[in-house]
Amino acid sequence: MLLLQLLINGIQVGALYALIAVGFSLIFGSTRIFHFAHGSAFTIAAYVFYDLLAIAQLHWTIAVLGAAAAAILFGVALNRFVYIPIQKHEGSFFTVFVASFGVGIVVQNLCGMLFGRSFVAVSTPLSRSVELMPGLYVSPLAGIAIAIAVLFFFALQMFLMRTHTGMAMRALSENPELVRAYGLSPRRLSMTVFALGSLLAVPAAVLSAAGSGLNPAIGHHVMLISLAATIVGGVGSLRGAACAGLLLGLAENLALAWFEPQWSEAITFIVLFLFILFRPSGFFGRATAS
Amino acid sequence: MLAYLLNLATLMCINAVLAITLNFIMGYAGIFSIAHAIFFGVGAYSAAWVAMNASANIFLVIPVAMVVAGALSLVLALPALRVRGEYFVAASLGLQVLGVTVFSEWKSVTGGLGGMIGIPPAEIFGHAVADPAQFLLLALCCLVPVLLATGVLLRSSFGRNLKAIRDSETAAYAFGKNVALIKTMSVVISAMLAAVAGALYAFYMGFINVESFMLDTSVLLMAMVIIGGTGTLLGPIVGTVLLMLLPGVFSYMSFLPQTEIGSIQQIAYGLAMVLLMIFRPGGIVGSGKPRAAKEKAA
Repeated sequence: MLLLQLLINGIQVGALYALIAVGFSLIFGSTRIFHFAHGSAFTIAAYVFYDLLAIAQLHWTIAVLGAAAAAILFGVALNRFVYIPIQKHEGSFFTVFVASFGVGIVVQNLCGMLFGRSFVAVSTPLSRSVELMPGLYVSPLAGIAIAIAVLFFFALQMFLMRTHTGMAMRALSENPELVRAYGLSPRRLSMTVFALGSLLAVPAAVLSAAGSGLNPAIGHHVMLISLAATIVGGVGSLRGAACAGLLLGLAENLALAWFEPQWSEAITFIVLFLFILFRPSGFFGRATAS
Repeated sequence: MLAYLLNLATLMCINAVLAITLNFIMGYAGIFSIAHAIFFGVGAYSAAWVAMNASANIFLVIPVAMVVAGALSLVLALPALRVRGEYFVAASLGLQVLGVTVFSEWKSVTGGLGGMIGIPPAEIFGHAVADPAQFLLLALCCLVPVLLATGVLLRSSFGRNLKAIRDSETAAYAFGKNVALIKTMSVVISAMLAAVAGALYAFYMGFINVESFMLDTSVLLMAMVIIGGTGTLLGPIVGTVLLMLLPGVFSYMSFLPQTEIGSIQQIAYGLAMVLLMIFRPGGIVGSGKPRAAKEKAA
């Protein structure tokens, strides 16, 4: 029964990780920007949601919309005012990574100053767990998390496969010069990519705020997970990132059956290490590591 | 006031050793590690263990710390040999997280979250270095050889090989360089020298716990190297001095709320990293062009 409980928790957490990782992977795959501050978009969305719902007492739809707007604004502004200027003179992986790491530090500490450093959670009727079977507790949020993850993932796939902008985005990751030759602006496309990628972090942020709660350092954890999921899934593969996110969520929770909870983050990285050592191209990766 | 200055100078020496050793792999070999605090920690824990269980003689403690850290760095070198760029960042981040978990959970050796208390003062030929001024001298006696050793290494053919790898790993490989061996050696050397800083720190503080070796420390060290200037000899030292002076500067600004000083300091580091990358990616000492990891992630 414990294993079944952990399995359900694992799928719930994994579905959210998958969404976050897909957002990161989308940005990294099509712009080659190592957007380490993706975790900050998550933190900002979660805190805006918390602020609007629990403190300003607004309706939850407004809170969700506010969170989405904040995340998109953050992603697009970061691309416009930090990444594009850096890439103009020198776009090495290292420079972009450091800048984005710096942004992550700033956001984490600003959130700490504004909202306090302790855990906060939004309690909704949906967060309460229901006993399905004796000893098996599931909150409606688990179902919502899974449904939303599936929905968003399919919507994204449709967007990338069927719309012009989506196809241009896929082309951008292959050959930016060609995109320019066809009269599309890689710069405007990268804005869309950032908006979309940041939007994908929002459902996870809202559901985490309502479920397990949040603190300013959560962005870090989220970032570690999406980084690990992107590599385990294979860089450039959205399907891989989604599967890997799910796998990492499951591994983290199932490990609780044998290990102390303090080890859960370490488990994620043991999985990552094994992949880097034995299958560096990930599940579905095209590009190999070296 | 004198005690404050001595303390600051000693911690600057220790951090400068760490920044120099991090710059050694980051700025010259282009190996971008965010696990440097782990080697610092391994050095500190093994030094503390030896000092408490065997002898506090630094001629025993420091070599032991160096050997342990050097051996463990092979764990990091293993993925380093296979992957580059973002993969390596992820791997070293993984090592950082794993290391912190081990430090805080391996209670019989590291004392868990409480840490190790009552580390005896360093001993040189039976003389215990307990006086802060004498300890500063000891720290300087470690900083200078580390600086000289890295300087000499970088001027040698080994250093030229490192720079060749940084500028283009593929070209170095094509030229018949044993890239894997050179990279491994640079990681091992860097970790061994970082362990010297760890041993000094353990002796100086008299107690250590996991808080000093977390991701924040790795990031701070990274900030020191980057803000000072990667790939330069002077850069890490300039960066260390600047970032270590920062807390003092902020505490003089009495209009800042005292409880938020830590956050404001972190925000200043973060902003400095962002602004430098936009306007002067080579760091303060650097030429304006970044000199590390030129190879694009692809």
